[in-house]
Amino acid sequence: MDGIIKALSLLFGENPELRQIIGVTLRMSVISTTISSGLGIPLGVLIGSKEFKGKHWVQRFTNTLMGLPPVVGGLAVFLLLSRSGPLGTLKLLYSVTAMVIAQVVLITPIMTGLTATIISIPAPRIRETAQGVGISAWRQMWLMIYECRSQLISTILVGFGRAIAEVGAVQIVGGNVQYKTRVMTTAIMMQTNMGQFHFAIALGIVLLTISFGINALVHFLESRGRT
Amino acid sequence: MIEIKGVVKTYDKRMVLNIPHLVFDDSKRYALIGVNGSGKSTLLRILAGVLKPDTGEVTHIPPNDMGYMPQAPYAFSFSVKKNVSIALGKGYEDKGQVQHALQAVGINHLQNARGNQLSGGETQRMALARMIVKRRNLLLLDEPTASADIRGISQIEKVLLDYADENNCTLILSTHSPAQALRLVDEVLFLDQGEVIAQGLAEDVLHTPKHPVIQEFLDHWKI
Repeated sequence: MDGIIKALSLLFGENPELRQIIGVTLRMSVISTTISSGLGIPLGVLIGSKEFKGKHWVQRFTNTLMGLPPVVGGLAVFLLLSRSGPLGTLKLLYSVTAMVIAQVVLITPIMTGLTATIISIPAPRIRETAQGVGISAWRQMWLMIYECRSQLISTILVGFGRAIAEVGAVQIVGGNVQYKTRVMTTAIMMQTNMGQFHFAIALGIVLLTISFGINALVHFLESRGRT
Repeated sequence: MIEIKGVVKTYDKRMVLNIPHLVFDDSKRYALIGVNGSGKSTLLRILAGVLKPDTGEVTHIPPNDMGYMPQAPYAFSFSVKKNVSIALGKGYEDKGQVQHALQAVGINHLQNARGNQLSGGETQRMALARMIVKRRNLLLLDEPTASADIRGISQIEKVLLDYADENNCTLILSTHSPAQALRLVDEVLFLDQGEVIAQGLAEDVLHTPKHPVIQEFLDHWKI
């Protein structure tokens, strides 16, 4: 109980580190979700709407990447960006950019897989109807996106939820550096290990509030999409 | 003229269409008749270019010249009016054609309703409005009255006949109803297990059937 009271006073107080951690977390999550959406949604639309040779294999590969353990994804990005790695000269390790790259690696397949599944349901009927009145292939794709807009926004929010709650990969490539790459999840882990429960609880409350907000938004959009 | 040569279509090694040679003349009206799974929809989809045959050739029809209405047309979630106007295509201005088409199919009062909130019958009428909203040389319609009630059927049939006459267009539709075929078309093609087993004037094929499969089919329609 004492921990919760201290956490609340921390939240409503003016702790610069807490604010900085929340800021870095939101910045990293928003950027990685935006990039992942830009890559994953168009790719998912293509996979979901088109019939092509080897489609089953592409879907299986995407589904495999959807379940990629975050620490494995983080390790891959770490090896890529480490000093002796192929992109070591960029000196991106232990930066927010590295964390964004790791999150893009993890979230893009999720966006792609979910989008492909969402689009594949109405795609055959939309394609047949649209082709029947001479609508171009590009316009057909836009129509598919338009018809699935609620579910696609939900997909983006799911991606954001995954980004903000991610811990393993960002810990590996970000290094949890104070005032630089420390985010809510890595800070909660560290503060708990140090016995600073009030700080961890305060961050936990923020994280839960954001998660609740995202879930509420997803449900609202999905219920709107059904009507 | 539309010509089909050596068209074969199989699904999972099951032959669903096998047409060695078939010709549809310009400005004529045709009905494809047969039981479920006889290949009517497959033939229409191949003619429309939405399905590729395994082998064979079909005369290329420019998409702008043709309208194809599938058995379960999609109703977009925007307004009924926009659902119809998208069929005008890029560069075409709506000079009242949409209103005219909606009026013809009897759903003008629903023009501002959302397309995905229409009933099955209303959706089919909206899809028909997409077909007739502009001039086309060929209409391919897969069971255009399947979801319509008795009043709707006669209204749709009138719309089709008027449109075909006004635009001098070729009409190819699939139907289960011999009576509808007799009312609407010049020629009937009877399909069975993916093959055309009879072709000729509607009266000849349906009044004096020469094939036992057609006789059996027609027996089911006797009251």
